[in-house]
Amino acid sequence: MILASHGIIGSQIASFDADALAFFNRVTTAGGTLSTIEKQAVNQLVLDLKANGLWTPMKAIYPMVGASAAACAQNLKSSSFTGTFTSGWTFASSGVTPNGTSAYMNTNCLSNNVFTQGNAGFTVYRRTINVQNGNSKVDFGAASIGTALPIVYFKGRSGNGRFESGMWSYNTSQGAFVNTTNSQTIGFYQVHRTSNTLATGYNGGTSWITSTNSNTAYTPNIPVNIFLAAVNDATLGAVDFNDCQYAFASISDGLNSTQASNLYTAVQAFQTTLGRQV
Amino acid sequence: MIGYILTIQEYYKIQGKFYSEFEFFNCIQDINDIWFLFLSDEDKFQIEDTEWSWILNLPEKEYISKPSPERPY
Repeated sequence: MILASHGIIGSQIASFDADALAFFNRVTTAGGTLSTIEKQAVNQLVLDLKANGLWTPMKAIYPMVGASAAACAQNLKSSSFTGTFTSGWTFASSGVTPNGTSAYMNTNCLSNNVFTQGNAGFTVYRRTINVQNGNSKVDFGAASIGTALPIVYFKGRSGNGRFESGMWSYNTSQGAFVNTTNSQTIGFYQVHRTSNTLATGYNGGTSWITSTNSNTAYTPNIPVNIFLAAVNDATLGAVDFNDCQYAFASISDGLNSTQASNLYTAVQAFQTTLGRQV
Repeated sequence: MIGYILTIQEYYKIQGKFYSEFEFFNCIQDINDIWFLFLSDEDKFQIEDTEWSWILNLPEKEYISKPSPERPY
């Protein structure tokens, strides 16, 4: 009665998942703001991930909401791996866009700390992509020369101008990289290594390429953080800058085909709620 | 792409320095090893009333990238 008489209606008091609420608080503490619809969308995303057993395998989830560096730097999964952005990004309610020349996001996620051999995954939701010939454009990357060649990357495009989604490989020789031409370059892309002999690329929630080349153990001489929109090469620094707009990005354990399909469903619903689906 | 060009001293002044809690300057060399800085409109707005405002008065030039280095990946 008191609530009603003071104009506060019960249905207006939101009940958020505890992890979603913790994320909102991190955004606010960082100086960012989220709209009501963004909070509702993120909350539902968390609920959907948990309902499908996808919350636990996630290491970092960047929902790219809040249209600011402070908000977009926050990891939805936990207070770990808060990112930092270089100069040259544009932040909007539709996502984040690097300049393709010098801009990247440092996830502060050390590749050899979060991954184990034969078990890792990346996703990105690309809303735009520019046609350019020349250098490769990478979505996620970290490279360090070790006893073999430990590389963790997910490539959006190769340097010859073709649109390709390259396979990530957690340390291996050149032969384990699988590239194919894919005309759909916007949308939700995933790559998951689920064993030492299987890595799978997904367009949306559908498997479209696999690599059965073998993975071998390695010792990186320089551990490096994973960058979004570039490769963090321990020798060269940041290279292969990307310029597409990202509306979601995640780092996780390797997901199987059912999990990847469910993840796509959850992320696509999230984007649709925000009106930024492609 | 047009960017601000920096002397080596200016590069050392800003490279890696944070201009907000979550954003830092990142410069890159062009084909002639000249240091460039690229700022979005938002970046420019953020720094215009700060200790970094002098950056906005630096000369600008068209950037030509170095060839991509040879790598095994």
